[in-house]
Amino acid sequence: MPSVTLYHWEPNANSGKPMLALMEKGVAFDSRYLDLLNFDQHKPEYLAVNPQGTIPAMLHGGRVLTESTAIMEYVEEAFEGPRLMPEDPRDRWRVRWWMKFMDQWLGPSFSMIGWSVFVGPSVRSRDPKELEAAIERIPLPERRVAWRKAISGQFSATEMEESRRRVAQGIRMLEQELARRPWLASGQYSLADINGFNLAYALPLSQPSLSNDELTPNILRWLRAIYARPATKACWALGRTSLVKRVAILEQPHIGRGPVA
Amino acid sequence: MRITLYHGEPNGPSLTVLATLLAKQLPAELRYIDLARGQRHALPFAHEPLVAMSIEGEGPVLVVDGEALSDSVFIACYLDDVGQGAALRPAEPYARWETMRWCRQMIERTAPAAAYLGCRAYPPRAEAGILEKIDSLDLRARWQQIMAGEFSAEQLADSRIKIHQAVDRLEERLADRDWLMGAFSIADLESFAWLAGMVALVPEAFAAKSRTAAWLARVRDTPAVTGALALARSAQPAASWSVGPEINRWG
Repeated sequence: MPSVTLYHWEPNANSGKPMLALMEKGVAFDSRYLDLLNFDQHKPEYLAVNPQGTIPAMLHGGRVLTESTAIMEYVEEAFEGPRLMPEDPRDRWRVRWWMKFMDQWLGPSFSMIGWSVFVGPSVRSRDPKELEAAIERIPLPERRVAWRKAISGQFSATEMEESRRRVAQGIRMLEQELARRPWLASGQYSLADINGFNLAYALPLSQPSLSNDELTPNILRWLRAIYARPATKACWALGRTSLVKRVAILEQPHIGRGPVA
Repeated sequence: MRITLYHGEPNGPSLTVLATLLAKQLPAELRYIDLARGQRHALPFAHEPLVAMSIEGEGPVLVVDGEALSDSVFIACYLDDVGQGAALRPAEPYARWETMRWCRQMIERTAPAAAYLGCRAYPPRAEAGILEKIDSLDLRARWQQIMAGEFSAEQLADSRIKIHQAVDRLEERLADRDWLMGAFSIADLESFAWLAGMVALVPEAFAAKSRTAAWLARVRDTPAVTGALALARSAQPAASWSVGPEINRWG
């Protein structure tokens, strides 16, 4: 039986980070899928594992670990396998800089758009009383606000516009950085690339006018290189929703500026 | 290796980096800049993306062999890797995870609150022509709001709650230890750097918190922090604030 248990949703955003890191390291884990759209993460069984009700959480050696990026650093340090952090201290600084930027600035903007077009509509048709009861069970007040907004479609025009501005700027920054080196933060594949792929794997589909082979050739090269890795293929094969199956866009040899089918 | 640190008063992010630099006994050229006047944005490398788009707000910049590094906790990790003396992060992976998670909470929840309250009490004032030089539009917007005295009652109240929560976590954590991670670490420095100035601004959060009070004194007495505080140009460095990280936009 594996010594690691991972509670996760789809290979997407925060859940996908430790999933892919574990698979790159070759660490077997007991996968416990939580259906975010069914509010599994706020049910008593999971709150007994992680009282904050956030996904993912990892069990190892009788301890519970949370916070996806910090879990990835733990996975890198606690297990044998290919190195996912560069040797050079300055490269490691760059890995962490990019992960923070994506976790706290760029990611929430992608996420606001994703929640408004996928998560909100996916649950909106359910019984309002059932939804309200589910929201009331969310331990963190900030998450209650986020869920209410997503479900009722209450993101303001100003908020959405700011998120779109940040996504456009983030894409420009990623393209610029990936023009300088093969991987995001250093000359080797690292946790920053795992983090970035979870954020951007469907970029040419979700933002076709901002990211394609003509406008952002380096981002596309980078996404395809990560998708070509066996661990990535195995990880994304665990996906169950249409959200994650969008990764197939990367199988197209050329993605132009025009509308994507 | 040639290191230059551009830093402000020893408070907040500048204190974390200055103290780490001293603890790790690294020779570096120190260059003072007034973060409360926005002087970071007039530096020659201010428009490098990993400086301009740092989400820490107004923090120090470490230049190593021509590359400019921002974000105080990650600069501290870098200095811990390359410097001398005792390690400032635990060696064991779980304890390292605890350290990074603790710092993330400070970065994401405590720092924005402390900077917001600090700027309300001691407003920074950018020099003429500086705001136009700020590449990050959201950072520029925060400067404009603060300089116009626009503080939201809701965010001020929430910031005080965040300081209370941080001190509660400290008090609980210190129940069986002198230092947050067992040995003196970056987590102590980062927590002290953001909270030392809050004792005067949110005194009720620190009331009857004897372990936290003793820890604050213990951190202040370390040679690294004492040395960093001795670099202050003002009588009260803990009253020196500039625009900090963004308060969480949503969720």
